[in-house]
Amino acid sequence: MTQRKLRTSLTTLGVVIGITAIIGLASLGEGFRSGIKERMQQGFELDVLVVIPGSFTAGIGEFEPQDVSSVRNVTGVNLVAPLITTPKTKIYNNKSERLNALTVSAVNFSEITQMLPERLTPIEGEIPSQGENDTIVLGYKACFLNETTPLVHVGDEVTMQIENPSLSLPINKTLRVAAILGKSGTSGITNFDYWAFIPTSTAIQLMGGREAYNIILAKVSDPEQSEQVAKAIEEGFDNPYSISILVPIAFMRQVDRILNFTQIFLVAIASVSLLVAGIGIMNVMTISVMERTREIGILKAIGTKSRTVLVMFLAEAVLIGGVGGLIGVFMGYGLSFGLAYTLSSFMQPQHDRVFKTPEAQRIAINPVFSFQWTIIAFVFAIIVCIIFGLYPARKAAKLDPVEALRYE
Amino acid sequence: MKALLEVHSVKKAYRIGKVLVPALRGVSFDAREGEFLTIFGPSGSGKSTLLHLIGGLDRPDEGEILVDGFNILKLSDDELAQLRLTKIGFVFQFFNLLPRLTALRNVELPLTVAGVPEEEALDRAKEMLKLVGLEARMNHRPSELSGGEQQRVAMARALINNPKIVLADEPTGNLDTKMGWEIVQLMKKLNEEKRQTFVAVTHDPYIAETADRLIHLKDGLIEGIKEAPRRNKQRS
Repeated sequence: MTQRKLRTSLTTLGVVIGITAIIGLASLGEGFRSGIKERMQQGFELDVLVVIPGSFTAGIGEFEPQDVSSVRNVTGVNLVAPLITTPKTKIYNNKSERLNALTVSAVNFSEITQMLPERLTPIEGEIPSQGENDTIVLGYKACFLNETTPLVHVGDEVTMQIENPSLSLPINKTLRVAAILGKSGTSGITNFDYWAFIPTSTAIQLMGGREAYNIILAKVSDPEQSEQVAKAIEEGFDNPYSISILVPIAFMRQVDRILNFTQIFLVAIASVSLLVAGIGIMNVMTISVMERTREIGILKAIGTKSRTVLVMFLAEAVLIGGVGGLIGVFMGYGLSFGLAYTLSSFMQPQHDRVFKTPEAQRIAINPVFSFQWTIIAFVFAIIVCIIFGLYPARKAAKLDPVEALRYE
Repeated sequence: MKALLEVHSVKKAYRIGKVLVPALRGVSFDAREGEFLTIFGPSGSGKSTLLHLIGGLDRPDEGEILVDGFNILKLSDDELAQLRLTKIGFVFQFFNLLPRLTALRNVELPLTVAGVPEEEALDRAKEMLKLVGLEARMNHRPSELSGGEQQRVAMARALINNPKIVLADEPTGNLDTKMGWEIVQLMKKLNEEKRQTFVAVTHDPYIAETADRLIHLKDGLIEGIKEAPRRNKQRS
């Protein structure tokens, strides 16, 4: 009797461990997922589509002004900002030191600040409002040599040098620094820290009055609808193949899918321990049926139906599964919080690093209590117990009463 | 009087390894309502097999067994279980009580199986334990009871569902003479009070003396049936 109690408790412990592992990993995975999702939402402009002529690899072609208005007219697009990137452009300060501006882009300042308000926050000066010609807005790293040494200040004049393949001499243009932006970090589009922005009008003037754009940014009203909007934009062009559209949310969905897969994989591994527990149940119940053969014989002799005997033993299995599952669910959440705490302390960023960009912030994994996973794990525990309990229970039900009564 | 139990040329063989061993080779008899029948015979004569067949724990190879009109051979497993539950009471040589349950719960068990509400079942079980003289010991487990007491509990359990027929397999075989005698007296009393048919397989002369009829079984065949006027009837 005491021995049987011990045996049953140990079997239940098997189920507890199985469910603990499943719930622990599932809720940790869920937490990991939502943590990464949150970070990606911060780091990516999920609602900004990037439209490029040609393809990303080829990167050829230009947009005419009517292309811009065609994008603007697509339903679901509530803001459009066309960009002109000027290739082979160098910027020097008044001491002829070259600024680290990898990309010089001509924009409409008010459009671009509306488009990416969180990216473009000046730490010095102000982003000029509509149409201030011959000004320049510099990204953080385009302006600073290092943490403490700026190459230019607001109000300084810089020289923009554009190499023109058709002319032997480069074009020089003097611009006034209107604003220096704070660190923006990497976004889905690019790292604006290395960018310099000039007004569209200046660029058009430099191109000899020709208005042609290289990139169109389009803000969608509902990021979930991004793919549909992208399709509508494509259809606005005569040849949809002539443009490429980067849809940040599709990328995030892909990452989410990968994380989801990883989570299921982890849970699948954890499930193996539950299967082992199931075999334990089968073992213990088979022994129990053997030990209780005589009892089963008595029950049958007094008129208990085989089905009732079956149900009795299955009920025992379900009880083990239910109790083990319940304890396991609680312990699983306990485990996930413990693991999350331990993992988080490993993931603390080093504080002595030079770059304190937002992505260096501590990644916090908060395990997520998932009602769905709780139910799945609990039901899984019971189902496993029923499956593995079925064999011994059937064995008990099929016992021949005469043989069973004779059993010593 | 109406025959409650009819046994017609019943044959039963067991397979032990590759050998088919005949246990019953054509047995026929019947028992009337309220009759006390004893099956006598040496070990290996097929007495226990016969009792198991009558009790619907097993099915005959050939022949017919009718218990209160029901043909054992034609009933499904579930119907047989139902028959055992409602019409048949078993008493075994080794008592066969459930060790984890108290006397009261053991007696109540058939009622629980039959789906009688708990409260009523407990009342009836207490009543039955009183009848077998064990009301003072009803909360004891079998291990805390003497052999005679255990057999009384078994008797109470056999009778709790008001069966038509009570089958006893060596009911005194595991008891000393005094206890055995008490059990026989109890069986006699119950048989007379409740007018239930008793069929006992035994070596015990006390039971033989008590019985209305004695069936002598040898090598799977009936050697003879002896009518015995009951002593207690003569006394009263």
